[in-house]
Amino acid sequence: MIDRSAGEGLSTEDLAILLDVTRSLAAPFDLMSMLASVTAAARQVLRADRSSVWLHDAAAGELVLEVSSDIRHVRIPVGHGLVGACARDRQLLNVADCYADPRFDQQVDRRSGYRTRCSLTLPLIDHAGALVGVMQVLNRIDGTFQAADEQLASALAAQCAVALQRVQMIESLIEGEKMRREMEMAQVVQMSTLPQAMPDVAGYDVHGTFRPALLTGGDTFDLAPVGDGLLVVLGDATGHGIAPALSVTQMHAMLRIAFRLGAALETAFAQVNDLLAETLAEDRFVTAFIGVLDPRAHVLRYVSAGQGPILHFHADRGTCSRHKPTSFPLGAMALPRPPRAAEMIFAPGDVLVLLSDGIYEYGNGAGEQFGEDRVEQVVAGHHAHGMAALSAALLDAVQAFAGGAAQEDDITVVLVRRGPAVSESAAFARRIDVLAEIVAFTTAAFARQGIPAALRADVDFVLEELFTNIVKYGRGKAPVAIEIAAIPGGVEVTLTEPEADRFDVTQASPVDVTLPAVQRQPGGLGLHLIPRLVDSVQYGYSEGERCSRIVFRKTDAAPSPGVAGHNEDQRC
Amino acid sequence: MLTMQGGGETPVVLSGRLDATQAAAAQAYLDRLHGVVTLDCSDLQYLSSAGLGVFLKTHKRLLGAGGRLRLTAVNRHLQDIFSYSGFDQILEIEPGR
Repeated sequence: MIDRSAGEGLSTEDLAILLDVTRSLAAPFDLMSMLASVTAAARQVLRADRSSVWLHDAAAGELVLEVSSDIRHVRIPVGHGLVGACARDRQLLNVADCYADPRFDQQVDRRSGYRTRCSLTLPLIDHAGALVGVMQVLNRIDGTFQAADEQLASALAAQCAVALQRVQMIESLIEGEKMRREMEMAQVVQMSTLPQAMPDVAGYDVHGTFRPALLTGGDTFDLAPVGDGLLVVLGDATGHGIAPALSVTQMHAMLRIAFRLGAALETAFAQVNDLLAETLAEDRFVTAFIGVLDPRAHVLRYVSAGQGPILHFHADRGTCSRHKPTSFPLGAMALPRPPRAAEMIFAPGDVLVLLSDGIYEYGNGAGEQFGEDRVEQVVAGHHAHGMAALSAALLDAVQAFAGGAAQEDDITVVLVRRGPAVSESAAFARRIDVLAEIVAFTTAAFARQGIPAALRADVDFVLEELFTNIVKYGRGKAPVAIEIAAIPGGVEVTLTEPEADRFDVTQASPVDVTLPAVQRQPGGLGLHLIPRLVDSVQYGYSEGERCSRIVFRKTDAAPSPGVAGHNEDQRC
Repeated sequence: MLTMQGGGETPVVLSGRLDATQAAAAQAYLDRLHGVVTLDCSDLQYLSSAGLGVFLKTHKRLLGAGGRLRLTAVNRHLQDIFSYSGFDQILEIEPGR
């Protein structure tokens, strides 16, 4: 029997019991085991018939009974009954006769059939001073609760509050860890829908980057071959996190399927919009740029649903033009009619710059946003260094501007650049059998520079005629140089013949193509055909260097009568 | 590269490129044939004026013996060449794709 009386401190035996409880509370517990351990200890040290621990649900303003010997999962408002009053006032309540106390709720006894005589009720306060729960013991076996019981109960309550807080923190950590793992899985799924490698598009350099603000993001992009073209997508769903990530991933998949099935741009757009309008929540939508590039015609047809600005960097001027979206965001409402597509024509070196607002709106500490002007400056400064490098430069510039401010929105970068106006040249020995080398050179140059392959046959024809003409009639020995350069919609070819005599191929004797077969001769036909197959032919001759230069152009423009001319004193 | 197959009862099938480097071989192949000679051009990707010369010479030789040269499945590029050179008025040409 432990000897306790009013006014005394804790006895050695009480301390021993308390330390025992403390030790057992320090062991790793789940919430239910911990509560069971506390209530058992309370019954033991306070000689109580029953005990309970109520958890404080601060958000609901309620107390929740998780453990007691007969009732579970009872909720009461803070302020109701003795437990509620204790929580509200954060004061220990020692009531010798509960039925005489107006705060006591007799309903509890009526429901359980138990008879409460006396009670000791204590607030559980954590280190930070927050109420975490209420501990209550009922019916001291040998009388009523005394001042010494209050002291002992207070010591126990302090231990209980700490243990409760610790268990709740561990549980929330475990819950957080589970959530984090699930978000990681969601990120893996979302990232797997993005292009794993950039597609190889003849004559173009393309790059896409996605950097989510959270583990998952509301942005997406696509750069995927569809037929002879390239699908270019940048999407941005409202918000970021798992819900928008699902929306954009859904849109991404629908677009890929639509284009793989050969849908036209307008049809795919309208179908995806209407499907999203049906399935997305009322307050959700996706802004999206959806375009299909024809890399041979250098035309990008696009529809932009609320995604802008669309920047077109013009290599010849060194500046960007800004284009607005062509329609309202996807999924906002069903489309009354198919959208009207816009077109962007790429000249050599031009760049399409699509960025999500995570870049434009990235803030620094001073409340400024990165903005369109800074984007254009970076593009103008780095457009010639390759699109992966330009993307990195944009992200670096944003980081430098932010000065350590956190990324608040997803960042997506999609860049498409047409190869610059390069020319390639090679020298060829004056032999007919070199024609195969010329064809190989032309084939490679067309592919590298993205020159329309449909022009090949006519270009080959004219090159062959001019080259064989030089081989047959030229008196020099030095190799002939051929230069191939992409021009808007076509190609410019230059043949330079050193050690040449003047012979203006544009002034060759006319051939009567109406003569009957028996009177026709094959000679001269080639030169006759040249101006008919290309857009223009220029002949130049430098007396000083004894060098002739022939320049012809061929584009995919509608066939028109060729223009032939000649230049004097041309330098080689 | 140019390959040629057939002749006599069957059409001569030309595949590849008939340019200045292949003209002599093509001429030698066609020189063995007589009567009405049909050239299947469905796989003939490219023809230069050297090739036109081969066709003209062959056609003239066949005409002299009561025969002729016909071309079938002639592609767009070849049609342009024949048309600009007036060969479409000399040879019997049946367009292809």
